[in-house]
Amino acid sequence: MTVDVLPTAVDLDGIAEQVWVAFLDGGNELVIHSGQSDDSSELSASVGIVGTYDGHVVVSCTEAASRDVASALFAMPADEVTEDEVGDALGELANVLGGNVKSMLPAPSTMSLPIVAKTQHQHFPGTTEVCRTMVTWRGNPFNVALLVSRNN
Amino acid sequence: MLGIVIDDSRAMRRILRKFLEELGFDVLEAGHGREALEVLDGADAVPELALIDWNMPEMNGLEFVVEVRKRPEWRNITLVMVTTESEHSQIVKALASGAHEYVIKPFTKDGMLDKLALLGLVPVGVLS
Repeated sequence: MTVDVLPTAVDLDGIAEQVWVAFLDGGNELVIHSGQSDDSSELSASVGIVGTYDGHVVVSCTEAASRDVASALFAMPADEVTEDEVGDALGELANVLGGNVKSMLPAPSTMSLPIVAKTQHQHFPGTTEVCRTMVTWRGNPFNVALLVSRNN
Repeated sequence: MLGIVIDDSRAMRRILRKFLEELGFDVLEAGHGREALEVLDGADAVPELALIDWNMPEMNGLEFVVEVRKRPEWRNITLVMVTTESEHSQIVKALASGAHEYVIKPFTKDGMLDKLALLGLVPVGVLS
């Protein structure tokens, strides 16, 4: 099946804002930069979506930013969170972002468990970027991108 | 009251644990459905509430719900799916399998509170 209408950067903006506000109490420290990206990322987390639409939702950020996320979610000082907690927190962020993107796609589809990697870019051969947004939270940039398989 | 939080994310388990503790629950945790069955088997009491993620390794949330519903001694556990899975067909499948309620991530504290209040799981005074 071909998907006629894919989510746009505006859709991604809305999802990102909703997730940050609900999960990271980001209302007062959140700025959305639609369609933009930052190239300082050191970590990335992704979820895959398979179904009527095949693709990936990827969130990437600096190590300091990921520590801030873990600090907020685990309610611990940023310098006390472990590497596992950082990975867990960033993975859950990708999971919730991905789930909300998936909800905009035609059913049925399934979503993978999150993958977290110490790399600026996770490579997904055969995909192309559909849209992206950048979230600045507590001064740290987070890239959120939707990649789609070229076969869709 | 006793509750169990079942989610493969420790961060999410912490958030949900804190939420339930603020309502006066004692809280058990498990990282996936199979572990949750073991925790329930080993628990001194049967929880009143289980908050269950859908996508987890080993045993997912839907499979857990099905297993719980096979056990008469756990029939009084209120099962609430807390998940990013928001397709209508999946919600129907979860409810048909025995889940009582469905909460989509990201949820707000007030939204979750309203759902639990409808299920009669919020102590008197908390909502006033």
